[in-house]
Amino acid sequence: MSIEISNITKTFDSFKALNNIHLKINTGELVALLGPSGSGKTTLLRIIAGLERADGGSIIFDGKDNTKKTTQDRKVGFVFQHYALFKHMTVFENIAFGLKVRPSKLRPSKEEINKKVHELLALVKMEELAKRYPSQLSGGQRQRIALARALVVEPKVLLLDEPFGALDAKVRKDLRRWLRKLHDKYPITSVFVTHDQEEALDVADRIVILNQGKIEQIGTPEEVYDNPVNPFVYNFLGNVNLFHGRVHKGKAEFGSLKLDVPEHLEARDRQVVSYTRPHDIEICLEAQGHEFIAAEIIFIRAIGPIVNLEMKRVDNGEYIEAEISKENYRNLKLKLGQIVYVKPRDFRIFIPEDYVI
Amino acid sequence: MSHTVKSFRIKQHSVIPGFGITMGFTFLYLTLLVLIPVSMVFFNSSSIGLVKFWEIASSERVLASLKISFGTSFLAALVNAIFGLLIAWVLERYTFPCKKIVDGLIDLPFALPTAVAGISLTTLYAPNGWIGKLFASLGLKISYTPLGITIALIFISFPFVVRTVQPVLKSIDLEVEEAAACLGATRLQTFIKVIVPELLPALITGFALAFARALGEYGSVVFISGNMPMKTEITPLLIRTKLEQYDYAGGTAIAAIMLIISFIMLLVINIFQWWASNRHK
Amino acid sequence: MAGVIPINVRRTNQNKARERTLQTSKVIPIFLTAIALIFFILMLIVPLVSVFVKAFEQGAGLYYAAISDPIAFKAIKLTLITISIVVPINTVFGLIAAWAIAKFKFKGKNLLITFIDLPFAISPVVAGLIFVLLFSTSYGLFAPLLNAWGIKIIFAPAGIVLATLFVTLPFVARELIPLMEAQGTSEEEAALTLGASGFKTFLFITLPNIKWALIYSIMLTAARAAGEFGAVSVVSGHIRGLTNTVPLHVEILYNEYKFSAAFAVASLLTVIAIINVIIKNIADWKIKQQTKI
Repeated sequence: MSIEISNITKTFDSFKALNNIHLKINTGELVALLGPSGSGKTTLLRIIAGLERADGGSIIFDGKDNTKKTTQDRKVGFVFQHYALFKHMTVFENIAFGLKVRPSKLRPSKEEINKKVHELLALVKMEELAKRYPSQLSGGQRQRIALARALVVEPKVLLLDEPFGALDAKVRKDLRRWLRKLHDKYPITSVFVTHDQEEALDVADRIVILNQGKIEQIGTPEEVYDNPVNPFVYNFLGNVNLFHGRVHKGKAEFGSLKLDVPEHLEARDRQVVSYTRPHDIEICLEAQGHEFIAAEIIFIRAIGPIVNLEMKRVDNGEYIEAEISKENYRNLKLKLGQIVYVKPRDFRIFIPEDYVI
Repeated sequence: MSHTVKSFRIKQHSVIPGFGITMGFTFLYLTLLVLIPVSMVFFNSSSIGLVKFWEIASSERVLASLKISFGTSFLAALVNAIFGLLIAWVLERYTFPCKKIVDGLIDLPFALPTAVAGISLTTLYAPNGWIGKLFASLGLKISYTPLGITIALIFISFPFVVRTVQPVLKSIDLEVEEAAACLGATRLQTFIKVIVPELLPALITGFALAFARALGEYGSVVFISGNMPMKTEITPLLIRTKLEQYDYAGGTAIAAIMLIISFIMLLVINIFQWWASNRHK
Repeated sequence: MAGVIPINVRRTNQNKARERTLQTSKVIPIFLTAIALIFFILMLIVPLVSVFVKAFEQGAGLYYAAISDPIAFKAIKLTLITISIVVPINTVFGLIAAWAIAKFKFKGKNLLITFIDLPFAISPVVAGLIFVLLFSTSYGLFAPLLNAWGIKIIFAPAGIVLATLFVTLPFVARELIPLMEAQGTSEEEAALTLGASGFKTFLFITLPNIKWALIYSIMLTAARAAGEFGAVSVVSGHIRGLTNTVPLHVEILYNEYKFSAAFAVASLLTVIAIINVIIKNIADWKIKQQTKI
């Protein structure tokens, strides 16, 4: 089922949670709503489910307007951040709930319910735990039961609110891979909310980046990571180095560093900020022309295949972070306190007046 | 004593001082004021002899009073369970004017002397009283009947269910109700299948507390019941009557029965409270 | 058991909105609220209001005469004396028992709490009876001793004080134990590591933390002591001007068909009850403020 969100606005007291949201989610897609807390991502998800009423705008499922429908009639599967399992019911009863509450005409027989619940228990690999109560399960197990419970009614849309938020790092990684595989096997239109960019980049087909109630960018993980449209997205999707400088007729100057920026030919002496990811920082032992900045190494973390370096610029004292391979690190024989020459291999320049950071 | 196995210790180690003296005082005070006096009932009953005890306990008047006491107390506790749950729900979930005042006044029957409640309710429900008049025109008598006793008992045991259910209702996570809605459950289904099971231990505890309180009540009932033997005589009143006739043995024997009932109620209540607080751990 | 103050969680406006979204019908909330309010008004407000209406039915002059009557005055005096003896003793007991029970872990704790609950669970008539069985000069266990020394407890003020002590024993302890258990012992432990003595720790750390619950429970003990009827009625002997407390005086007036006078005296007790309820709500609110950091 496709979901069309148009013109959705929501205000809590005086706080504008969502401002004029337009978004189309295609059938079978797995979409991540990514943003910091307070960005409105959970509110948007809850509006899709009917758990929250929008002040204006409409929610359309497969061309049919759902805006006025109650949650009960929307038939969406919803997985809550804190699982929201029914504490007094066993795992089996939790999963069966959605079938048992159907009006008697639509309710499957006892055998059918039994069969369906066991199918789902097999799907989430928890057949032997059917008789347990939620309090006897681990966090990861509870989350899988919550998912099975949402899937039992065969929803056309699956909504997940920070599904892995309350789990520890190891379980989190396993579960999100498992969710991705599950979605490949049963491509239900799915939307999940997260504040973890790694999670969104790992799992989603498309990512919607929200900030302060507005959509900043929509795109595949590659698109948003490689081509952030503004400084917010750049910042949000990973570590970044900022270089403050000026641009004039296609030439940028960041202290001693001078770069050609053909996309800003018409700029006339404007203040700019350049963004570079740590792995796009090149390090040399000797200066080679004007494209390099001198910096002192102040911190080295050489654990694992990637070496993290922190450096302090000699000219203005600003900090630069870099990630290089262990091999490269060994070849360069870097040491604390050493002066090296740094160059952004890849960068993007934004003129700050256009954006409020 | 550092070699003592931990499980043999009565008290776990603690740096907080004063356990010995405070525990000693607590125990002494309870022994003098509660344990010894209460045990007197059993001590005296046993001196009556089993045959005489049984004779008193199985007498028609005692049995009739027990029947009235249990019947009216059960009915009162049941009414309070239903309306207590309703009022707790309305107070927690809906907004209406003067809600804070309503919530605050729920505890009034705990603080109002039972004699005051007694004369006020009797006057109200008497055939010429404000409310009694309305029922009298329908041919229904309330004061001086078991119905009147039930109303007095509803009043004095009213706060228990509200106050045991309210905090549990408050602690129910809204997410759980939203989850039920997403799975297609109607509001009524959510209430019956999700909310009520969560509330059940608290509801039963509140019911049992109200029932226990109503069983022992004397002050308010003595006015409204009319005190007719076999018809509107509750057990505590019968004890009082026996004492006034200087029939101490009879009064004590009935008191022993009431005490045993109180002990059982206390045990049941403690079990339910334990169940309520431990079942999800 | 004795009306524990629940520690409230604050509901945010957002939660209210969530509750409203869940409601699929607009009629049912109004319907349920109406039934609840009708029950509340009929069962609680009308009896309360009627006390005052009946008290002033025959005019303010009669009201004043009823409460300033010398026998009424003596009943008030006896009730005040009883309160002034019972409240301090049971407050000290409650504090000590709450300290022993809430601040330590030991076996048999639940049994001890059950003993404290006992006076609340048993019928007030039985509560009166047990003291008759001990101290009656004709039937009691100590009758020979009491007769030899010429001491009268039953049908005397001493019996009233004893019965009231028994009946109001649980309130302070039962109000403080859950609160002190919830607060734990970490603050006390911190004070002790900083060199404070046990008593200073209690005075400067524990007491301020339980202040409002203590104030309320003292008020409740006083109100219950003033209003106790069943137990006192058994041990008092109803000797006018000597062993009559305020509630017993109300009963006598009522049984003599002096209804307005009975309600006038009853209205004094009702005012105490209302003050008690107000203090409970202030205490609830203060405790909520304290626990919300």
